[in-house]
Amino acid sequence: MIIDINFVGLIIASIMASAVPLILASCGELITERSGVLNLGVEGMMIIGAISGFALMTVTGSLIIAIFGAMLAGVLISTIFAFLTQTLITNHVATGLALTIFGIGISAMIGKNFVGIPGKEFPVLFEGLKDTLPLLGPILFGHSIVFYFAFTLPFVTSYFLKKTKIGLIVRAVGDSPESASNQGINVRLVRYACILYGGAMSGLAGAYLSMIYTPQWIENMTGGRGWIALALVVFSTWNPIKILIGAMIFGGLTIIQFHMQAIGVRIPVQFLTALPYIVTIIVLVVISRDSRKIRLSTPSSLGKSFYKDN
Amino acid sequence: MNTNLKISNVTKIYPGCVANDNVSLEFNSGKIYALLGENGAGKSTLVKILSGVIIPDEGKIYLNENNLNLNSPSDAKKNDIGMVFQHFNLFETLSVFENLIIDSDEQRESLREKIDLIMKKYNFSIDLDIPVLNLSAGQKQKVEIIRCLIRSPKVLIMDEPTSVLTEQETSELFLSLKKFSEEGILIIYITHKLKEVMQLCDEVAVMRRGKLVSVNEIKNENIESLANKMVGQNLKTIKKKKAKTSSDQLIKITNLNFTSEDPFETNLMDINFSVNRGECLGIAGISGNGQSELFQVLSGEIISEKKSIEFNNNYIGDLNPQERREYLMAFSPEDRLEQAAIPQMKIFENVALNNFKSSNFFNNGLINENKIKEHSKKIISDFNVNTDNIELKSQFLSGGNLQKLIIGRELITSPDLLICFNPTWGLDVGAINYIHETLIKINEQNKSIILISTDTDELLKLSDKISVIHKGKLSKIMNAEEVTSEKLGILMGGAN
Repeated sequence: MIIDINFVGLIIASIMASAVPLILASCGELITERSGVLNLGVEGMMIIGAISGFALMTVTGSLIIAIFGAMLAGVLISTIFAFLTQTLITNHVATGLALTIFGIGISAMIGKNFVGIPGKEFPVLFEGLKDTLPLLGPILFGHSIVFYFAFTLPFVTSYFLKKTKIGLIVRAVGDSPESASNQGINVRLVRYACILYGGAMSGLAGAYLSMIYTPQWIENMTGGRGWIALALVVFSTWNPIKILIGAMIFGGLTIIQFHMQAIGVRIPVQFLTALPYIVTIIVLVVISRDSRKIRLSTPSSLGKSFYKDN
Repeated sequence: MNTNLKISNVTKIYPGCVANDNVSLEFNSGKIYALLGENGAGKSTLVKILSGVIIPDEGKIYLNENNLNLNSPSDAKKNDIGMVFQHFNLFETLSVFENLIIDSDEQRESLREKIDLIMKKYNFSIDLDIPVLNLSAGQKQKVEIIRCLIRSPKVLIMDEPTSVLTEQETSELFLSLKKFSEEGILIIYITHKLKEVMQLCDEVAVMRRGKLVSVNEIKNENIESLANKMVGQNLKTIKKKKAKTSSDQLIKITNLNFTSEDPFETNLMDINFSVNRGECLGIAGISGNGQSELFQVLSGEIISEKKSIEFNNNYIGDLNPQERREYLMAFSPEDRLEQAAIPQMKIFENVALNNFKSSNFFNNGLINENKIKEHSKKIISDFNVNTDNIELKSQFLSGGNLQKLIIGRELITSPDLLICFNPTWGLDVGAINYIHETLIKINEQNKSIILISTDTDELLKLSDKISVIHKGKLSKIMNAEEVTSEKLGILMGGAN
């Protein structure tokens, strides 16, 4: 049997494509969590992004408006979360769960009129270069702008947290909001900003699903990817580069198990479907088992409300 | 240039408590000022107002005749007021340098140079690139001081700076503070330790229950006069009578080791000691040298080899705290609100927590509330806990009252051995005196104490024998009479 090297490249590219929404949502949530806020509403924000993007694309016909509109929708819904948890000091976990339920519900309602409408083709970049390189050509070229953005994001996030002043402030707030506040840092403002950024990235992840990955609206189309994104953040021990690795493993196994099912490998389907989840968790646990590093990268105040007593 | 700081008629009222009642004070640079008072006297509130953390209800602050509007910590920084907080305001998981650059507007390189200069000038040596959680308390404090010095402050406020320091670190700090003062920085030193005031300061202001009760020069005061002003009544000094030496061994620790999986804990190496009945063994050391691990091993929070701990002729190394209590051991851990009591639970519920079997607190799995309440009331009256409401949540008790409640809870079952860890940490003079008296009383009743403490004065006052823990190893056990605080200090620093 001759394996076409470009076919392998295509498979890898499809794996990367399936990892895009996970990377986007995880990197957004990572910033949120690094500031000490646990937002379990990722799934909800993603699906809101998905329907907003698709609806705006259908109504306005503009892809740019649709993409930014989806991010804005993510920001708006996360503003609700920020207002509740930071201003009204509600519990992060309960509020986040409510956000997911709310998002799924409202997206289904809005989405009623958009079921069955075909999506638009999303422009891809460097299409012409695809055939110039064997194997690498299909991997590197011919993808949407969001795809390239997603694969840059973990490195930018890592740089942002480690090397920039604002990144330092985000980590400081997540480490000890009390100390940060005593240092004159506006904890609430930082946390608002981080929550809103997380919302924007989840919104973008959703828009990628409904506009680029499978260009159509299906109710509940995020299918738990928001939860996977959340798990990736934790199992990567808040490290953006490990999120990339985790997302690739998860995406890869998801694609491969589809192919295995298609070929008819005699392994129970249930096991194959569960495989990506199990392997991703095992791998991330193994590469992150240094307890010293975990201690240093875990935001100490994660999920705890901050009150300023005055 | 001369710096003049004036506090004018400052009042801050919290629900049910006047933290600062019309306080007016004036400070001039060139002197070191002590702000003295018991816990809850209002001194922390006052300095938090100066550093912009708390906004006063009334009153004004003037720096060199300019009225300051201190609405946030950054306002204080802008006006050259620096503060080192009692509970460090550091970010544990960030590196020292990251901690310092976070509130600085300078470039990395120039800041690094500046920090190096400061460290050289005052003889500090700290690795700037390790995370803060790897530093000792003394080093953390230096980081806080450097953070203030970077901004070349006019005023430097130190809030209870020595509560976590060793003798040596304290004298180093005092030298630095004197140097700062000579350089024209106005220093306000908050403490409840009288000895330090006498040693360091030029002028002293005493606060009591939110009010300023006295301002005076140090040369006109002495320890007794200050103590009386602070407490508002005459304090008796307590002294331990020399106990008859007993040879009746109660607990014996043999070759006890503990290796932690957490890299931020200290491993215990080859611990050997014994305590006789009626004796108090003091264990000194700089915090973070294995004290909390030792406490946990002794209390059974960490289980060790069965034969490593022999208590009353039983091997109990593998028993948990509850089982050890059945053998008449009692424990008073360091962190009153996190380890000893559950803050959200009521007083009587907390009392019930350490008594599962021997008491009749629980019948067939149901709580016998009347019995527990009766018992709690007895503790409250026997141990002088200043409340009559046993339904009060424990978090609303003051540190002193909570500690009395905990010691009372432990002692009312009449244990043979009490193991306590920093029992008077952060308490005021009155409460410390009471706890010390209680501990002496236990020894007089021929019961034993293991006292793990970072307060050398306390150890010298209460112990019959003293050992020093350093990096998880115990020094040889010395008789308390042979020991001086200087000698302890040297051992605590790791010398032989």
